[in-house]
Amino acid sequence: MNAALGHSGVLLGFASAVVGVGVIAYGLARGRPDMLRSSRVYAVLLLVGAVLATVAMERALITHDFSIAFVAANNSRTTPLLYTITGMWSALAGSILLWGLILAGYIAAMVWRFRAKSGDPLVAWATLVTFAVAAFFFGLMVGPADPFHTVAGAAPANGLGPNVLLQDNALVAFHPPLLYLGFVGFTVPFAFAVASLVTGRVGEGWQLATRRWTLFAWAFLTLGIFLGAWWSYQVLGWGGFWAWDPVENASFLPWLCATAYLHSVLVQERRGLLRVWNLSLVVATFCLTILGTFLTRSGVIESVHAFSDSDIGPLLLGFFGVVLAVGFGLIAWRGDRLRSPGGIDSPASREGAFLLNNLLFVGFAFIVLLGTVFPLLYEAFRGQQVTVGAPYFNTMTVPIGLALLVLMAIGPALPWRKAAVETLAPRLVVPAWIGALVLVGCVAAGVRGLGPLIAFGLGAFAAAANVRQLVLSARAARRHGVGAWRGLVGRANGGMVVHLGVVVVAVALASATSFGHRGEVTLHPGASATFDGHRLTFVGITQVRTSASSATEALVVVDGRATLRPAVSEFGTGTDPVGTPAVDSSVTDDVYLTIDALPTAAHGPVTIGVTVQPLVSWLWAGGAVIVIGAALAALPGRRRRPTDPVSAPVPAVADASGDGGRHGERDGSGDAGESDDAPLTRRRHPVVATTGAARGDDQGEWTGEPSDEPVPVRSP
Amino acid sequence: MTARRFSPRARARVPWVALVVVVGVALGVGANHPSAPTAPQREAAIDASLRCPSCEDISVADSSAPTAVAIRQLVATRVAAGQSDAQIDAFLVSRYGPGILLRPPVSGITAAVWIVPVVAMAAAGAGLAVVFWRRRRLETVSVAADDRRLVARALAEQAGGGPGPGRDTAPVP
Amino acid sequence: MSERALRRRHAARWVAGSALVIGVGLVVLLATRPPQAATEAYSPLVGHPAPAIVGTTVGGSSFDLDSLRGRWVVVNFFASWCPPCQQEEPELVTFAYEHRAPTDAALVGVVFDDSASGARGFLQGSGATWPAVVDPGGQVALDYGVRGPPETFLVAPDGTVAARIIGPVTSAYLDASLRQAEQAVA
Repeated sequence: MNAALGHSGVLLGFASAVVGVGVIAYGLARGRPDMLRSSRVYAVLLLVGAVLATVAMERALITHDFSIAFVAANNSRTTPLLYTITGMWSALAGSILLWGLILAGYIAAMVWRFRAKSGDPLVAWATLVTFAVAAFFFGLMVGPADPFHTVAGAAPANGLGPNVLLQDNALVAFHPPLLYLGFVGFTVPFAFAVASLVTGRVGEGWQLATRRWTLFAWAFLTLGIFLGAWWSYQVLGWGGFWAWDPVENASFLPWLCATAYLHSVLVQERRGLLRVWNLSLVVATFCLTILGTFLTRSGVIESVHAFSDSDIGPLLLGFFGVVLAVGFGLIAWRGDRLRSPGGIDSPASREGAFLLNNLLFVGFAFIVLLGTVFPLLYEAFRGQQVTVGAPYFNTMTVPIGLALLVLMAIGPALPWRKAAVETLAPRLVVPAWIGALVLVGCVAAGVRGLGPLIAFGLGAFAAAANVRQLVLSARAARRHGVGAWRGLVGRANGGMVVHLGVVVVAVALASATSFGHRGEVTLHPGASATFDGHRLTFVGITQVRTSASSATEALVVVDGRATLRPAVSEFGTGTDPVGTPAVDSSVTDDVYLTIDALPTAAHGPVTIGVTVQPLVSWLWAGGAVIVIGAALAALPGRRRRPTDPVSAPVPAVADASGDGGRHGERDGSGDAGESDDAPLTRRRHPVVATTGAARGDDQGEWTGEPSDEPVPVRSP
Repeated sequence: MTARRFSPRARARVPWVALVVVVGVALGVGANHPSAPTAPQREAAIDASLRCPSCEDISVADSSAPTAVAIRQLVATRVAAGQSDAQIDAFLVSRYGPGILLRPPVSGITAAVWIVPVVAMAAAGAGLAVVFWRRRRLETVSVAADDRRLVARALAEQAGGGPGPGRDTAPVP
Repeated sequence: MSERALRRRHAARWVAGSALVIGVGLVVLLATRPPQAATEAYSPLVGHPAPAIVGTTVGGSSFDLDSLRGRWVVVNFFASWCPPCQQEEPELVTFAYEHRAPTDAALVGVVFDDSASGARGFLQGSGATWPAVVDPGGQVALDYGVRGPPETFLVAPDGTVAARIIGPVTSAYLDASLRQAEQAVA
């Protein structure tokens, strides 16, 4: 019954996607907007199919329906409910189902959001692209990666249960879905990018309309990556959180391109520049999510993540090739339409800083990609194996990270078009001195090591510069009578908060990796030892049995106040025992314990592996600040009233929540041919060019930089 | 001459010069490392540079796998026997192949993985510099008299009230 | 088309073209990965003297690899908990039986991270008759550069390593590898 339900859901989804592609293609070819509008129903059907299949799978898991091969392989009667539910994405076919569900959700949301413009060829092409992607993933589930494949013969009495590492920690309920919300979310901007290239309407309208979608996907990808690192830290027992594992790299690559895009699109909105960059970054982001899925699913590079069922590996690789060819082929074809009105006037300007930012992020991504793929290249040509491990990545990316910190500090203070030293220096002198004083303080406190010291100094510089921006915005908001908190929301101000989070993360990384200590202590029951300033007392061994596992725990008291229980656990029957670490986190450092050797006799000594790393908790705190900043950036800056003037006449702005017109500073060099700059969603009131005092800047938010405010138009 | 010494530009530079001096001194002091590492530190450093052969991408220092434990034991023995880092690395490479080292060797073909990114980024930076240089040389804007008159008229009308005439950006429906 | 538009189109083409080239290269590379069965793998020991294997077998007797000098030796690193080892065990039994003549190829097992009793039970359960050396501390595995079981090494009669095979072997595969190695040495 579950299998039948699931199969019908998958087939419904696949059929809806395929028919949707056909209907839209026909509607576009014949110029039939009514057909385009009718295609919306297929998005609903796609979602229904996906939900049906998901419900069927969860029902099968919860009722322990072992007639389905996936359930038999990933669930057992003793698996706790939480891990039963999360078992859906603990192996290959189920994770494709999760991808399909999230994709169907995004498509339905997108179609609903742009429903007023569903007859517009741009929106239609974007919907077609998303349907095509959905057709691919649902097609995988129809054939090679069928989650509802039934067991041949009789259903087994009990299943194997999920992988032991996936039932150790509740984070398994969050990390994959959040990561997928990020990955899959980039399908929407990609679809619009392809649509804009195909229709030739390469203006900024689609980017403004999809700004929040990209930000949303980026925020979830960031959250997913941080949770993955946290999970790795809590579960895997080596005290680290980022191993430059090929699959970790594969999730990091789209994040890098997406971050570059989020910054670079500001230049296109303000000045209409960097169009080829922006389109390439969007296409690259989506391609890299597909490549990441391939690397995770195909087992081509051994990794802690590889689900080595490689049947769908070649298909994913082929899809990656197709997406890459389509995306970049379109960019090459439409190259002549991507000319910008004017160029970057001076490298010392905000545009120049964003361009340098793009270069640094793309360079970062190139290094990560090269390092991940180089062992394969080498082995293919030389037959030997070479390893490109953490030392390589750290050496190559730390300079880029430091350069990005510098840009983070200087960028927000740089004016557009051209910076003069007289403008810039007064803005930066206080943050620079704060950075210098922090550096001196660290040196005075005994911190040694050029790399970490530079990171701390630059981090303080960047933090102070960003806080300065926030203070100015809050003051400007208060001055205009709307409440100081308005200075914290909106794209620019949310971005400052995100930068603060990044600084915290950078400081945490620098200190945890440079000043961590690892060792082993062997203790008899009741004995104590001191390691790196912490006192560890071994109390004894206990056995803990739950329905799912039986664990041997070592009770260790840290600094006389916290009891940690590192353990060796066995889940289910016949599986290998797995080491479970225990962590005591504080604001200053983390004490991380594992059992390296259990006592061989009763009351014998136990060998405990100890890792002490400073400021690890700042990593997670910084990640939280980043996500909070992204949420702040998604909020509208200031409700723009229709009668508010801007510094130059503009068409109706991007979306109804009043995000502000950005066409103000176009230098009007003959873009008459591009009528596509009309936004995709219409505001409710037309803009009337008016008189009246100008208020605030033309980004729809308070940024408070006096020289950025437009020249007020004097009333008659 | 005395006027120049107190010119605003010179005064504005003072905090920056002082900044550079302070930072330089601090870094100079802070970059000093204690000399000769102890045996456990050497072992930890070597362990962190070796790949655990039976794990996925973690170092011998981080892993509790039996192969890693065996290698740690070997490293400890050899460090105690006074062998150098290079000798220990060479022995392990003679058994496991070059893949045992986490840091790809800087010699031979693998040097490409170190050099290519640096060269690529330097080339990109140089390319941009060239583009800016060329653009700066080409841009000699000479303003025609007609344009000056147009601007003057627009400014006058604006000062007189109401929106200016003739916009360059065509309003879009 | 204006000069600047031409340049812009060329820039876009360059970007797209280079991205496509990198992408296609990546696809080709990733598509041609070797399959996951028994394969001959690189080892720096090939052509060099085989590291010594001296120790006690799971049965309690002593063993020295040198005593087998003059015969081809198949050294098989295994563990009872490793599924591919379980998979190849019957094949090894077949191989040992076919080569049971005293001057024929000898089969030797080395226990990889397993208890002696576990290994003994595993071997007895499959009807294995060849000696299996216990490797406390994993130093023999380290000497041979073993990453994980199952790995099999072919040692020539003169004591040099002829080949390293990773993955579960079959009797036929071993025979073929042996023939190949014999021809290479001759």
